[in-house]
Formats: sequence, structure tokens, C-alpha cells
Amino acid sequence: MISSAVLTRRAAPVLACVGLLAVWQVASLALKNDSFPTAIEAIRAIPDILGDRESLTNILASLRRMAMGFGVAVLVSIPLGLLMGRSRGIAAFFNPLLMVIYPVPKAALMPIIMLWLGVGDATKTLVIFLGVSLPVIYHSFEGAKAVEEKMLWSGAAMGLSSAKRLVRIVLPVALPEILTGCRTGLVLALITMITSEMIARQSGAGNILFNALDMGQYDTVFAMIIIVGTMGICLDAIFESVRARLVRWSEPQFDMPLSFS
Amino acid sequence: MKARQNGRGSNDALDGCENDDPSGRLLAKVVPLNVRAREAKDRMTVVPARSSEWMRPVNSQEPASAIIEIDRVSQVFQTSARKDHLALSDISLTIEEGAFVSILGPSGCGKSTLLYIVGGFVRPTSGMAKIRGHTITGPGPDRGPVFQEFALFPWKTVLGNVMYGPRQQGVRTAEAEAQSRALIEMVGLKGFENFYPKELSGGMKQRVALARTLAYQPEVLLMDEPFGALDAHTRTRLQNDLLNIWERDRKTVLFVTHSVDEAVFLSDKVVMMSKSPGRIRQVIDIDLPRPRRRNELLLDPRYQKYVVDIERMFDESDEAGPFS
Amino acid sequence: MMSRLLSPNVLLGVAPIALILALWQGLVSFGLAPAVLLPPPGFVFSRLLQQLVTLTFQQEIAATLIRLFAGFAIAVVLGVSIGIAAAANPAINAVVRPIVRVLAPLPKVALYPALLLLLGFGHGSKVTLVAADALFPILLSTYYGASTVEQKLIWSAMAAGTPRYEILFKVVLPSAMPSILTGCRIGLVISCIVVFLAEMITSTDGLGHALVTAARTFQAVDMFVPLITISLLGLILNGLLGAVRSYLLRGFPEA
Repeated sequence: MISSAVLTRRAAPVLACVGLLAVWQVASLALKNDSFPTAIEAIRAIPDILGDRESLTNILASLRRMAMGFGVAVLVSIPLGLLMGRSRGIAAFFNPLLMVIYPVPKAALMPIIMLWLGVGDATKTLVIFLGVSLPVIYHSFEGAKAVEEKMLWSGAAMGLSSAKRLVRIVLPVALPEILTGCRTGLVLALITMITSEMIARQSGAGNILFNALDMGQYDTVFAMIIIVGTMGICLDAIFESVRARLVRWSEPQFDMPLSFS
Repeated sequence: MKARQNGRGSNDALDGCENDDPSGRLLAKVVPLNVRAREAKDRMTVVPARSSEWMRPVNSQEPASAIIEIDRVSQVFQTSARKDHLALSDISLTIEEGAFVSILGPSGCGKSTLLYIVGGFVRPTSGMAKIRGHTITGPGPDRGPVFQEFALFPWKTVLGNVMYGPRQQGVRTAEAEAQSRALIEMVGLKGFENFYPKELSGGMKQRVALARTLAYQPEVLLMDEPFGALDAHTRTRLQNDLLNIWERDRKTVLFVTHSVDEAVFLSDKVVMMSKSPGRIRQVIDIDLPRPRRRNELLLDPRYQKYVVDIERMFDESDEAGPFS
Repeated sequence: MMSRLLSPNVLLGVAPIALILALWQGLVSFGLAPAVLLPPPGFVFSRLLQQLVTLTFQQEIAATLIRLFAGFAIAVVLGVSIGIAAAANPAINAVVRPIVRVLAPLPKVALYPALLLLLGFGHGSKVTLVAADALFPILLSTYYGASTVEQKLIWSAMAAGTPRYEILFKVVLPSAMPSILTGCRIGLVISCIVVFLAEMITSTDGLGHALVTAARTFQAVDMFVPLITISLLGLILNGLLGAVRSYLLRGFPEA
């Protein structure tokens, strides 16, 4: 009984994917629109893209920039967020700045940064870095702020220095919240990556998308959407399984039993 | 119901009592009968019952004094995939109209679950609960709960909370407001009508919760450890106030608590429960005069004896281990 | 998101912003950065004020705002109703949950080309993109809020004689309100960002378009103006939503 329940839970997202593709297929057949290929046509076009050397290097370059931007952002943002959460002064210093930056569309900085740094990897990586940092800082901050004072007192009583308390107590306690931020950051990294490439239109996955659009290769457009979508879903699933392993002790947030039915 | 003021009908022993523990003899008023509600009227002759004469039914098969009947109720909770937890095992209990009945037991004995079943919030795994002869299938305004957690609507003011029930019953706004203001005054919160629950202390919140429930005039009050989250001082004050309010119309009260003092102080009848599985181990009539004054009662040897005897019984079952 | 946290140490908070402005001014004044690439802040802000009173720029703002509000409104309506329905009904939940799991991490902006093909280059595709992006934070937080409603609130209302279907509107919805508004706040900022990006990628009007036009002609000043405008819009809308929030949640402890 347990295994069948787990099986259903595992299978449900796959079923959802199949269902969505089926809806797509039916909709495209019904609309009979030249610019709206069927799901099967789009899926058939995927091997062509992944088989093409140039496309593949483009996509891999996108992923490399994304990994760089995400990695650096996480390394900088977590300590900053934790410090903000534990020190009122640091929080008061950074909060207004972050609040001002928060609604700025990070990918929209592309044209300006391009003026200074050119169209290369540095610009795109920087934009991804900016996109990822904010949610990670915010969640680390919230997580560190919620750490119980008494837990730190016990740590101090055991002779831990304040730096050690931050690493040994605050970090693990805030970890579930931090990882929630990282998960948002990961999805944002992918979004920023695609968007920046759509704006700069020079290389990368976003560029392939719009080149195909301009050239009227509609099956390639939709195939690329499937590829990018799959990347998003896979990255999220991988991260989620890592997260679940790291914070096994913590309550899963969105697996609440229904209190009302 | 007014009859109750001179002849307190607390010894009609309509109570199912699963336990034939000899220690029951410690108390004069203990009725160790293994009686189920349905059979109760046949056995009535066994027990000398004053109030059963008062309350003799005129045209009903059921005894008129019974308002709630719990009939062989069991409750099983699935704690994990493999384990089933028997929270309540074959509980039968009858509650008479106008009685103040406490359900007393250690945590985990299923006493709150029993209350939720009467409230209609939880459906029993087997058996049934009835109110005035009708099987309880869901919550209704004839049974008003008061929870330990207060459960006030945070988005409504004190007045809004109290008015909720009457408005839901279709009472016109002006009338509902007047009734609610009177109730708020009765529970001692005049002047706090437009406060939000977050601005009140725990004791005040529980007063609002009581007023909210009284506002839709339930026949039975279901109180689930209502004073459990309060400090000792607030607790005794609320106990006194609850008794004063209760004296006015003598609604039927089913009161869940784990405090022996509280149960003896408030009740006409104390239902003692044991845990794993939850069973009724004894039903004890509390034969103390009303209206009760705390300062008089604490000095009353009869009160002291009830408390000591009940505590002793719980201690004995602890020593005998969980399988007793 | 962070506005609640800053009232006391305002001075300390203004410091880094002032510092950045000073650095910006310094870079230009000392000739470290050419004014073509980095116009001095005074110039940018006077240009902003100058633009704000022109009709064409106001029209760009209006176009952006219409798309933003349309998309956000659709997202709120869909997100709240689906979220509540999924929390209330196990059958709906069983269908919605896996679909949300698949669609939520999908980078919606990648759908934009498809939306362009299906809905054309006008408002429709941009509004849909905004709605798709803002939907999931609102849906998820509504679902979370609605499925963690305190059981005893529901019981209290039921005992007072509330019919089952009314419980949804009288208890579940108001109880979930703090969580819903948090979702809306995130959704609103996302809407601001997405509408701007969509206009940058392809559009004939709107603030994003203004930035791209300026970029094509290397008018650095005019690139800053729409960016600052959208950020200010984001801050203002965020503040308005905050006011709505503190009014709606005046009874809730942590609001």
C-alpha cells in the first residue's frame, strides 16, 4: 500500500506532462494554425537541435553562465543574508538598498551593462548573478532572523564564538529557509538566462528561440520551448531532492494534509 | 429545568460505566453499573433517583432528562501506515439536561475526541452519539464549542465575533448587535467591543469565545479544556465567572479537563477516563451544594475528599501500569 | 517584501544609497567614466522629470500599466480561486498539484515566442505572459494559506450554523488572506519585471520599448529613465499593496 501511494505520487507529474502535451496536440490540431505545430512535430524537432553542434555549444554555454552566476550569487548572498538576520545594524544598512533594487527588472540592465562590459559572458553572468542574489539574501535573512535567541545562548554558554555560532547554529537552523531561497533563485537564474539572451540576441538558448521565430521555423521554436521547460523542471526536481535530503528533519512546506474537505 | 435548583438530579446513574474496579467503593456516590444508555430506563429502579421522578417522561420512550446519549462509541485513528490507535473504546454515556458534566482524564485518553464526536466534528469509527434522540451527523447550533485555542476569527472585532452566530442564524443586524453587546457585558468585556482578538489577553479571548458561543444559544456547551492555556490566577477567575453565568440558565455543559480540582469544583458529575484505549473508568456524582463559592468550597471536607479520592484512583491506575 | 523592516534606522539605510549616488557622481566627475556611457545622476533625474511631463512618455507608462494590471488581475483571480479550490477539494487537488509541480518551475518567458505566434504581437501575448508568471506565487501561497487554516476556526463557524459551502468564503478565504497577500506582493513585483522584459523583447510601445529604442541609438540617459520609472512604479505599487494589506489584515497578529 505504501509503495503504490509513493508510485502514484511519483507518476503524477509525469501524467501531468503527458496530459499537457495531449492538450497541446489536440489544441494545435483543432486550430490548424501554420505557426502552431503539433506537440508531436515539436518533439520530432528536438533531436535536430540537440544533434546540431552549434546549437548544443550554445545551450551548454548558456548553462555554464547560469551555473557561474548562480554559484557566485549563492556564495555571496547566504553569508550576507545570515549577517543581516543576526545584526540589526547590517540589516538596517542593506534593507533599503535591496528594497530599491528589488522591483528593478534585472535582465533589463543588460543594455546598460553591455555599454560597459560588452556583449560577452561577463555581462550575462553578472545579470544572472543579480537576479539570483535577491531571493537568496531575502530568505537567508528571514531564516537567520527566525533563529531562537535561546539556541544561541546555549551555544554561547558552550563557549562558541559569535562567528562559530553563525556557522554552527544559525546556518543549519536557517537552512530550510535558505534552500527555499536557492530554489527560487535557481528558477530565476534560468529565467534571467533566457531573457538576457533574448534581449542581447547574440548566442545561447534564448537566441536560438528568437532566431527560429524570425526565420519562421516554428517547430524549432516549440522544440526549444520543450527543451528549456524540461531544463527548468529537471533542475527544480534535482534541487528538490537534494533539499529534501539536506533538511530531512524539517517539515515539508507544501505537503500539508488537507485540513478542509 | 428549574426543578434542578432544589433537587439536583445528578444521581440518576444513566451513565455507562465500563469499569468494575472495586476501588469504586471508595466513594459513596459511585455507581459502578455497566449500563448502556438504551438499557438505562429498564435499570432505573436499581438506583434511587430523586430527579427521575421530576423528569419522568410524559410521551417519550427515552427518559426526558437525557439530552445527549453516547452509545458504544469507538474511535480508531490511523497514526501511520501500519499502526492503528484505539483512541476511544466502546464508550457509552448519557448526559442529562441541565447537568454540568466534566470529562476528566490524562492527556491522550481521548476525552477531547469524545467531545468532538458529540460536537459532530469527528465521526466515530463505530457507535453513535445522539442529541434529543437524533443521531448526530454534523455540527449544529444546538451544540456550541469553546476551545482551548479560543479559535476567534482574527479578522473580526470582539463584537463581530460575537455577532457571527446570530447573524448566521438569520437574526437581523440591529438585534444581533444588541444581543451581542449584552453578552459582551455579561462576560465582563464592556468597552472592548471594537478590539481585535490580538489586542486581548488570553483570559479575555476566552471570554469572547464563550460569548460568541452563547450568542447563538446552544442547548449544550461543549468546552474543550477551555482554561488549559491560561495562568492559574486567570483560570480561577474564569471558573468562578463561568459558574455564575451557568447558574443563570443552567445550560447543559460538557466540560473536558485534566484538572481534578477544576472538575470537582464545577461539575455535578465527573466522568473519569483512562487511556490506551480510552475508556470510562468511573462516573462520580459530585454532591456539593450550589451555588458554589470557591473560598467556602476549598475548606469543605467533602470537596477535599472528592479531590483526594479521584487523585488516588488515577495514581492507582498508574501504578498498575498501562494494561490495568 | 522588505518594507516592514526598516522604519527605525532610516539614516543608516539611506547611507548605502547615498554612497552609490556619490560613487556614480564621482566616477563621472573625475573622468573615470565617460558621460556617454554613464551620465551623471543629476542629469538622469532631471531628464526623468522632464520626460514625466511629456505626453508620449506618459503614453508609454500607460501602455505598460494597462498590461501590468490586466495580467496581474488575471493572475490574482485564477491563483486565488484555483488555490482555494485545490485546498478544499481532494479531487481538484489531485489534478492541480501535479500540473502545478510541472508548470511552476518552467521558465515562463520561454513561452513568450509561442504566445507571440498564437496571440500576436499586441497586448494579448504580453498580458498572458505576465499572468502566467504572476500566477504561481499567488496560487501556491493561497493553497498554503487555505490548507493550513486552523481546524477549530472552521469548527467554530460550522457549530454556529454556517453551511459547508459558505465556510469557504466566510472562514477559509479570510483566514488565508495573510498568505494570499504575501503571494500577491511577490506576484506584483514579478508582473512589473515581466511586463518590462516582454516589452523589451518585442513591442512598439511601453517603457521596455523606450529602453530598447534608447539602447539602439546609444542614448545612455534615455536608457536609465525607463528603468528608473519602472522601479519607481514597482515601489509605488508595492507600497499601495502594503497599505491594502495592513488595512485588510488589521486584525491579524503578525501583519
